[in-house]
Amino acid sequence: MDRKTLSVVLALAAVLVFFLGIIWIGGMLNPSLQLDETALLRFVFVAIGLVIVFILYWLTKSSGIWQVGTREVVYMAIGAALYAVFSYLFNGTVFVVPSVSQVALRPAIVIPMFFGYTFGPVVGFFSGAVGNMFGDALTGFGLSPQWSVGNGLVGLIAGLALLYTDKKKSLNNVLIAGAVLTLLATVLYFVGRGTPNMLFFDVPNNIFGDQPITVIAGLSVLIGFVLVLAARFLFGANVDVGAAVTWSMLGNLVGIGFAAISDIWINGYPPVAAIVGEFIPAAGPNLIFAAILVPALVLAYGAMRRQTGR
Amino acid sequence: MLVSWRYRLRPGSVVQALDPRAWMIFFACFLVATVMTWDLRLLLPLLAIALFFIFTSRLTWRDTRRAWLFISGFVIFFSLLTLLTGRGGVEHYTVEHVIGSARLPFALFGWKPTLLLTSERLVFAVSMLVRVFSLASMTVLIPYCINPALYGVTFRGLGLPDKFAYAMDLTMRFIPTFGRDFQLTMDAQRARGYELEKVEGGLLSQVRKLAPLLVPVTIHAVAGSEDIIDAMDLRAFGVQPRTWLLELTYRRRDRILIGAGVMLMVGYIALSLIGFGRLWVPEALQAFPLLGG
Repeated sequence: MDRKTLSVVLALAAVLVFFLGIIWIGGMLNPSLQLDETALLRFVFVAIGLVIVFILYWLTKSSGIWQVGTREVVYMAIGAALYAVFSYLFNGTVFVVPSVSQVALRPAIVIPMFFGYTFGPVVGFFSGAVGNMFGDALTGFGLSPQWSVGNGLVGLIAGLALLYTDKKKSLNNVLIAGAVLTLLATVLYFVGRGTPNMLFFDVPNNIFGDQPITVIAGLSVLIGFVLVLAARFLFGANVDVGAAVTWSMLGNLVGIGFAAISDIWINGYPPVAAIVGEFIPAAGPNLIFAAILVPALVLAYGAMRRQTGR
Repeated sequence: MLVSWRYRLRPGSVVQALDPRAWMIFFACFLVATVMTWDLRLLLPLLAIALFFIFTSRLTWRDTRRAWLFISGFVIFFSLLTLLTGRGGVEHYTVEHVIGSARLPFALFGWKPTLLLTSERLVFAVSMLVRVFSLASMTVLIPYCINPALYGVTFRGLGLPDKFAYAMDLTMRFIPTFGRDFQLTMDAQRARGYELEKVEGGLLSQVRKLAPLLVPVTIHAVAGSEDIIDAMDLRAFGVQPRTWLLELTYRRRDRILIGAGVMLMVGYIALSLIGFGRLWVPEALQAFPLLGG
């Protein structure tokens, strides 16, 4: 293990030891301590998310996808700034983008997906994580660092497509993994159909998190997956579009899944509530965006490259 | 062309008299402390700290009017909504004491809306107002009071590697530029008859309608980056450890600020561990009858 890697491992270990220490001391100070009431768990899940990133890096470090040069530095900044600006504009504060049947539209998520797929996992992770942090700061939403890490994972996993020189080979495996996760989420939706949609706020009707999830919102992951599948085969001749859409789908399911599952401990949600009330209403619409807007971005970027010769 | 934040040197500003690294560390500690608690008794000192920095920062109303109007509108809208609907509060209280209720004099499809005011909703809304206002106010100080030329060296000084520090620097510089680009694109598309707010069509057409905004802004940003990349490459960016034109040095006041920030954070963590982070409802407000009781 080289010095740089060792220092990263030691830093992550120190963070975990620090929080375990707090849990231990907290337990002595207050025997009835419930950690989900202290907000400390948010930071524990940040550390867990970073451990996941480190493991992915460790397993694939021999490939060149983790290199950070001038180009990557600039794309990281552009991705994060665009994600922050779009989040600020579209998160219901400046433009209230109409939502349909409780499916809130947050198109900004395509930025980490596109930047991750096109410029690599480091750019994707930075765009998602830092962009989400700045977006929250601009909007005044406060601090949900575990959701920033989740957004970072969306971009990072989309960027893992670069591990394959022949992108077409990876697509079937990614689609199978996506299908399994979609099936799981859909089954859980049918198990907990009465669960409130905790991410939906309907301004005209003053509904926030207290209405059962609608059928369309509940099935949005399935609808999104079908659209991703359609995009994959509709653009069969263009491997780049198919790969961008399928890897973005996997990134979205894993990244948003990580953030929603962490809320089982952070907010004390039952697992079904975290999946049906948070994961599905966030990840489903994101998949719909991945299927429609990511191809548009990839095609436009391809056209720009052909035009400029870069 | 880059658009910059409305930073300018403000003589006598307390925030500008501090090392930006010290300010960022204090800001991070403040953020953690605020996130740790919903107890109004603990949130009020944090609001006082935020107000102290705002009033001593020499920001003028003219400079910051748009930011304050946005923050106030946002905070008041969501607090009122919280008060009227109880949104978000269910994680913080299990019982509600009814102060009063009013049945609205109109019906929507046969349903007569009823406004319910409970002690818990009231305290939760006030706590939320204080919390979000404190956070947003401290955040506003960064773009207006910290010199953009110091962003990179600040993040480097906070321990980020050179490349990531420079990426953070560029991110902060790009945000106002892309905001302007978005507005220009939006105006150009509207001139062609584009209507974002028009509620028409199903879910897929709503999503598709966003492409004329998102795609041009993103691709324009990527295309424009080539000049920046060339300029950085020509200056041998990343070839050797970076040096920074401006250097920062901690002074006594910066160390005091960092110490105060760390103490604030540790104190609030300790208080939340012994159970003071929860929503606090004053005894007097608990005298009202229980909802459903």
